[in-house]
Amino acid sequence: MSKLTLNEQTICFAEGETLLDVASRQGLEIPTLCHDPRLEPAGACRSCLVEVAGERLMTPACARVAQEGMVVATENERIDRHRQTLMALYMTDHPHEREISEAGSPDLLLDMAAEFDAPMDWGWMEPMRGDREDRNPYVDFNPDTCIACARCVRYCEEIEGVSAITLAGRGSHTTISTVEEKSLLDTTCELCGGCIDVCPTGAMNEKLPLMRGQKPERELVKVRSTCNFCGVGCQLDLNVDLEGRDGQGQIVKVTSPPPGTTTNDGNLCVKGRFAYDFVHHKDRLTQPLVRDEDGVFHPTTWDDALERAAEGLLGVAERHGADALGFVSSSRCTMEENFLVQKMARALFRANHVHQCAAT
Amino acid sequence: MNKKQADVPDLLQIGGGLNSGVSREVSQQTGVPEAQVYGVGSFFDLLTDTDKKVRVCTGLSCRMAGADQVLQAMEDAGLPAMGCSCLAACDRPPAVLRDRDVLPAVSVEDVAQAEGDWTVLRSEIESNGKSWLGHVGPEVDDPDTMAINLLGRADWSGKAFAKAAKMRPEEIIEEIETSGLQGRGGAGFSASFKWNAVCSEKETTRYVVLNGDESEPGTFKDREILMRRPDLVIEGLAIAAYTIGARDVYLYLRGEFAFPKAVMAKAVAEFESHNIFPDIRFHMHSGQGAYICGEETALLEALEGKRGMPRLRPPYPTEYGLWGKPTLIHNVETIACVPSIISGGGDWFRDLGRTEAGSKVYCISGHVEHPGVYELPLGVTLDELVEEAGGYIGTPKAFSPGGASSGFLPAKYRDQPLDFETMDGLSSLLGSAGVVVLNDTVDMKWSVSQQLRFFHDESCGQCAPCRIGTRYLHEALENRICNREQGHKPHLQHAADVAWQMNEGSICGLGQIASLPLTSAQKFFPEEFDE
Repeated sequence: MSKLTLNEQTICFAEGETLLDVASRQGLEIPTLCHDPRLEPAGACRSCLVEVAGERLMTPACARVAQEGMVVATENERIDRHRQTLMALYMTDHPHEREISEAGSPDLLLDMAAEFDAPMDWGWMEPMRGDREDRNPYVDFNPDTCIACARCVRYCEEIEGVSAITLAGRGSHTTISTVEEKSLLDTTCELCGGCIDVCPTGAMNEKLPLMRGQKPERELVKVRSTCNFCGVGCQLDLNVDLEGRDGQGQIVKVTSPPPGTTTNDGNLCVKGRFAYDFVHHKDRLTQPLVRDEDGVFHPTTWDDALERAAEGLLGVAERHGADALGFVSSSRCTMEENFLVQKMARALFRANHVHQCAAT
Repeated sequence: MNKKQADVPDLLQIGGGLNSGVSREVSQQTGVPEAQVYGVGSFFDLLTDTDKKVRVCTGLSCRMAGADQVLQAMEDAGLPAMGCSCLAACDRPPAVLRDRDVLPAVSVEDVAQAEGDWTVLRSEIESNGKSWLGHVGPEVDDPDTMAINLLGRADWSGKAFAKAAKMRPEEIIEEIETSGLQGRGGAGFSASFKWNAVCSEKETTRYVVLNGDESEPGTFKDREILMRRPDLVIEGLAIAAYTIGARDVYLYLRGEFAFPKAVMAKAVAEFESHNIFPDIRFHMHSGQGAYICGEETALLEALEGKRGMPRLRPPYPTEYGLWGKPTLIHNVETIACVPSIISGGGDWFRDLGRTEAGSKVYCISGHVEHPGVYELPLGVTLDELVEEAGGYIGTPKAFSPGGASSGFLPAKYRDQPLDFETMDGLSSLLGSAGVVVLNDTVDMKWSVSQQLRFFHDESCGQCAPCRIGTRYLHEALENRICNREQGHKPHLQHAADVAWQMNEGSICGLGQIASLPLTSAQKFFPEEFDE
């Protein structure tokens, strides 16, 4: 096992681990903005620089691979000054006001500037990366709060394999763009919203809560749930404003649990992330209904509803034979539920006509 | 890895630049996602603003020689014009880029004669529709005292290569080591160290890359070497390839070097027609207008067809270079020294220098009588260099020893050796040895502002210290010059902290030295920065 010295402690590490991996394992906090454990490190935001003895320049902990015998410092006067002046410089290119910058999303940059007590008196420069209209319904991009760390671009390429967005321009004009600044709707974008999730400053943001003025001052409560749009079983966090809808509670947005914690590893698709409107829709079925002889649906109990369904199906089988029955299950069912549907069809009704709507 | 990606910049050029629909076509031809193609194109000056067919150099030497008036005259005449970064023609300012050809010494009269048609814009110096050759000194053909010997006759015999081919690679590297050859691109890094490093790699697929992206303001020596001694450049590359066991050599020349590129292509063909380097393939690549691609890892990215953003180091290119393979990258002048070192021996080359090894091609421009390139012993003083160049114009006040990156030194250092170590000791750089002399008619704040604007324009934008810092310093100085340092505007009082952050926090050399023009001028000319 290889060893290095980290803040005067001897630490073992596995081959290929970065200094950030090693430090995190030791419970040491190193600030990061552009880092995402799922992506190739970029070392672009510069917030994670640490010192390796014998080297003239500080090095990004996120990208630097640990080596035998390294002597690493993550805290000292030079690193403190670095963090303070870096944050101060970022602030000259970023709205200081949390309300402007935040617009419903967390802003790690502002948090970090406050944490390191960065000087805020260096002034600020006029925004120069012009705003863009995009008629897509979900993803909003504010170039003025973007720090061009390209986490969204790398996510889109490395995780989604979509590459709908890119770093564009050069120097102080560097920004995030689609090809020829087209609407995301006219690109390969699948509107998964992953760019929103990985953005450290809220520059990539959700349109839905913004458009509806649903940016409550109140804190949102996260309710863990399973996405019911398909059988994968992605976990999602419903961000609920408990006092919304006159105290009934209202889902304001949907986020993914952090990477590395659930099967979806921090990812969601367009449905899981954005198609939550139906939950509060007035026409949504919330209890079983059975059509009576009057031809109108009436609420009833599950037991009654299931019994009526069974009666009907068995009646058809009796009158016309099992071949008269066909079972089509929904793509929104899980694999286990689909299995049960075919088991019910075959074992109970002796019917072989079983299908699932996503199989065509 | 998609090697077709390397064609992206060329295909964008063929498509006329980043015009509507071109990204899609290039994407279909290469398999590179459309957005990425667009991202690459938007990085490069020659692929954007495609309607701007004439571009006026806004480098320090060119602006001192009236570039602003030429640009104004063009705009007044309705020419599709804009300013651009240094065109490596500081010896004949002001320079203009017409499509991909650099025209030297364009005057307001030349603009008037074009009568609004950019395609017929000419410079008096330009002859036969070809590019011009600059002034070279000493005006002798003397291969005994000059390793490059710019006025010497081209030698297509490949005799240095033939000699090297009889040596073992270790012997060649030993000879390079003895010669004391330091990289002539800017860093002054030991050449033999790189050769050794590549040879010590396990991976046997290796590449040689020529860095011909000369764009440091004040620097134009590679232009002359490429045009006058292409034989030395190609033979040097061949010797390097033989030594490290590479079959493929990539020549990356800045996109504005259309004429030098043609000369090089002809030189490759000349050697090929005699089958002098049978096992080596030469590949020519054009830059597309980005100073940062002179940084070796940015150059590799650009060669691979990506945005020219420098890589994190380690690993260094000698270990992880072009397409991840061990790669030897050298500046044009460095590689052009190699054939002479092999022919004349390392000791001979070393002794050509005065304070450090070898002869050195210095560029000089600004307030001197005969701007040009001069091959002199490494370690001559400014006074000696200027004497070769016909003397100072007016009273010298300040000079940049190695392009914009080297900042400014006061004229009192005119008796100091222009070598890597001495300049380093003065907190400056010999860099590319692009010496610019300013006389006492020049305002330091104005001069510094030209350099800061250059770095602001040319920062790649990848890391925050450089992307934000170059802009902050430029705006802060402009605010001082224009007396508008009020309210929230960037202020010079924070310059030292910003500079510290840029030096310490930036990924590559650009950001790490971009504050030097300001901090050096503040140090040596404090009275000019008083509020």
